[in-house]
Amino acid sequence: MDIKDLKLLVKMITETDITEFEMESGEERIFLKRGSEPQMVQYQAAPAPVFAAAPHGAVAHSAPAAPVAAAAPADEAGERIPSPIVGTFYRAPAPDSPPFVEVGQIVEKGQVLCIVEAMKLMNEIEAEFRCKIIKICRENAEPVEYNDTLFIVEKL
Amino acid sequence: MTRSRTGGDAFSGGTGEQILALLRQHTEAHISGEAISHTLNISRSAVWKQISALRAAGYLISAEPSKGYSLDASPDTLHVSEIRNGMKSRLIGRRLLSVAEAVSTNASAFRLAEEGAEEGTALIADFQSGGKGRMGRVWASPRGVNLYCSIILRPEIKPVAAPQLTFLSAVAVARTIERLSDLKPRIKWPNDILIDGKKVAGLLNEMSAETDKVNFVVLGIGVNINMRAEQFPADLRHPATSIFIETGKTVSRSSFARVLLEELDELYLEFIKEGYAPVRKEWLEKSMLAGALVTVSDNGSSRSGRVRGIDESGALILETGEQILSGDVVLGG
Repeated sequence: MDIKDLKLLVKMITETDITEFEMESGEERIFLKRGSEPQMVQYQAAPAPVFAAAPHGAVAHSAPAAPVAAAAPADEAGERIPSPIVGTFYRAPAPDSPPFVEVGQIVEKGQVLCIVEAMKLMNEIEAEFRCKIIKICRENAEPVEYNDTLFIVEKL
Repeated sequence: MTRSRTGGDAFSGGTGEQILALLRQHTEAHISGEAISHTLNISRSAVWKQISALRAAGYLISAEPSKGYSLDASPDTLHVSEIRNGMKSRLIGRRLLSVAEAVSTNASAFRLAEEGAEEGTALIADFQSGGKGRMGRVWASPRGVNLYCSIILRPEIKPVAAPQLTFLSAVAVARTIERLSDLKPRIKWPNDILIDGKKVAGLLNEMSAETDKVNFVVLGIGVNINMRAEQFPADLRHPATSIFIETGKTVSRSSFARVLLEELDELYLEFIKEGYAPVRKEWLEKSMLAGALVTVSDNGSSRSGRVRGIDESGALILETGEQILSGDVVLGG
């Protein structure tokens, strides 16, 4: 089951009186439990301990055979860092320098993540909080629009 | 007489500075040591010491018995009082810092801005040990001959409009060169200042912004004023020159700084009041690119085309309709 189907399923169930829902098909197993508030969605690749580990009201999805479903939720969980200007995205301070950050790296508040340049105005984008880089959304030297997502990060 | 290495006003407020100010008020006549001593409330021997120190720093101060001192000539220094002397600027340079040395005036100004330095603060260095160019390149910054200057602005504009300031500072530098020499500088997109195809000034702006708000912009300006040919690095990417090389005449660096701050002041206040249109119009007049065939290289890739103009955001527009936001532009296919 992909994320779209799962969202649909959650939506369908929340529109009913059902408080718990379990489904098994092939290697996938889905367990939904409703609380009083809209739910946090949690996915895990590991199959067994999901039920026990899932917080009250959470949706747990165990899908060991579906790496796509496991990778996708990062976008949902993380915070996006957008570009404040139209310009060119640079991952490094100079062409022969190492990038400011890499995926998986933990960066401190105020640390430079990238440069967006427009008309020789260099805009160094800094982390506004301590975070872990989940995804770098643009290639080096690629043009970016205003508000384009540059990074997905996990706030720490 | 000491000049602070970073951050501090070199001369401003000091006794030497105050004596210079008094000497300048008496350009027509002499001023007696006693009058100086009385006005500044210091001893006669302190006056004498300060005069000696000023002479050691390159000021030509003559002394006549019974008449007193007069200032005959000032050295080509970048002292705050030299720059301020007669300056007609309202906002830009109202706080002026001149230091003997900085790694990079942009980096220092950026830090000052982060610490809350007011709009219009200008930082000038006699020497940069790590002058910054675009994309990690170095701006050659020998001592005593050029101007390295960074200005802090806090415009109430959206970050998307901030690149317009690039064009503003380019126009200010071109105007300054026109006022102080017979040269006709031309601006190459977006902000290189050329004389006869050779680069005489480089500008690099840095911004701190949130999604919808500019915290501050630092305008970085490096101008080759009295630099000699042998002072240029051997491995320059593009041909470079100085005002001295082009004209055979030296230009006072403090005058250059003063005029530059005045021009920036006028253009910036106009920009705040009337927006980008006047800057864009003058930039187009001073540009050398309309209709020209250019090659733009950026991070390994390159494109060629004929220039149609620049759009409202300042992006270079080729006749193919391509919009160019960054890169190095050279004339020719």
